[in-house]
Amino acid sequence: MNGYNPFSLAGKTVLVTGASSGIGRATAIECSKMGATLVITGRNEERLAETFAQLEGSGHAQITADLTVQEDIERLVASSPQLNGLVLCAGRSILSPLPFCTREKLDSVFNINFFSPVEVMRQLVRGKKIEKQGSIVAIVSIGGTGKFTPGNAMYGSSKAALTSIVKYAATELAAKKIRVNAINPGMVETPLIRRGMVTDEQYAADMSRYPLKRYGRPEEVAYAAIYLLSDAAAWVTGTSLVIDGGVTI
Amino acid sequence: MQTFSLEGKTVLVTGASSGIGRATAIQCAAAGARCILAARNADRLAETLASCGGAPHTVEQIDLADDAALASFIDRLPSLDGLVHCAGIGDNQKPLKFLSPQFVDLILSINLRAPILLLSCLAKQKKLNASASIVMISSIASFHPAPAHSIYAAAKGGLSAFVKGAAQDLAPRKIRVNSIAPGMVETPLIDFSALTREQRLADELRYPLKRYGQPSDIAPLAVYLLSDASSWMTGSQIVIDGGLTIGS
Repeated sequence: MNGYNPFSLAGKTVLVTGASSGIGRATAIECSKMGATLVITGRNEERLAETFAQLEGSGHAQITADLTVQEDIERLVASSPQLNGLVLCAGRSILSPLPFCTREKLDSVFNINFFSPVEVMRQLVRGKKIEKQGSIVAIVSIGGTGKFTPGNAMYGSSKAALTSIVKYAATELAAKKIRVNAINPGMVETPLIRRGMVTDEQYAADMSRYPLKRYGRPEEVAYAAIYLLSDAAAWVTGTSLVIDGGVTI
Repeated sequence: MQTFSLEGKTVLVTGASSGIGRATAIQCAAAGARCILAARNADRLAETLASCGGAPHTVEQIDLADDAALASFIDRLPSLDGLVHCAGIGDNQKPLKFLSPQFVDLILSINLRAPILLLSCLAKQKKLNASASIVMISSIASFHPAPAHSIYAAAKGGLSAFVKGAAQDLAPRKIRVNSIAPGMVETPLIDFSALTREQRLADELRYPLKRYGQPSDIAPLAVYLLSDASSWMTGSQIVIDGGLTIGS
């Protein structure tokens, strides 16, 4: 591209949560290929190290942390360098019909999908760890915002809450020239979805409902995150990028 | 990096003589695309061509609202990997009670009918390669119209809806169709002469990021949507407006 790269992340330091697998891992790796310096975090030390080994370039850091534990968030924020970008990928899904969505299960889902990313963002902002012109990207979902599949209520409503706070954060942080946006993916092939809930036939049938006839790849979400992290998106805030193979048309 | 490149792709940019179209053409060329620049004004098209670096890029002087000219224009085109449709008119404030049939026809013809027929003819005349990417420039007016812009809002709302329908129809050939909905972008399309400097500054301050957009803010988004980096995105509308419409 003859030196044209508006999507370059050279000179930017980016923190990625949930970096031990799936979208988080792909985001960390692709951001490093675009020249970013990465700080990656996840619960599983071994898998986090696997991601770390795949990062291009040097100067990256890995911090094992369980973001449902307050002390771990505090340690993460304290040891984090100044950031130009933050990608909130950590999340989980429990499928359960409404009568079985107990408070206990709801707490578990909301803890990792809503309270943790909000607390990470809050502490980083309060600790002035996010530089001016910084970019925050939350990975939410079409579930709970554009698609309401039976059994997915807890996951979807937690992601809807996160989508909402992204817009509040965009409004409030605009004064600091920090941009905040969401990416709403459809079903992406990650370890999260292969938890043995459905048969291969059901997977194939579900995939065929997507106009592009396939699920997404983690890298395809990572590229959208790169766009939002880069200076190419300097006028983008409070937006949701729907990437779903057309399923919510 | 390679994923965001447009090397080897042929891209038609309409409205390429100024504003968002010109900036998009220049950045597509920089990203490696071979561009076909289309617009009505030959002189300004030549300026865009020069800014793109000349050959292999080419120009096509065309009035997209002219049905008779459309088929032969499309005949002349090579097969496309991308289309960014930027042609449109926006300088058209008119309160509801002053909407004349001529004015309604004009705005709908250029902002809605023309892109519909353009894409339909491109598909019919088999000018779209498999996995091509179509980008329509819509507007936040499609869901957040300013006062006295009702017919512009209707045209852009229609365009945004058309994009979703076209995405359905073209998905079997893996052709993707998406729209960009910008807020106020400083282009020659906008006549700021009706506003005093103070009024204009006050309007810009309504944007959370405290400024209007520039054509160069929109162009990289079009490049992303044309590139293989967005290969799983279709039927989407991306709002780019400095935060103005958060909550609408």
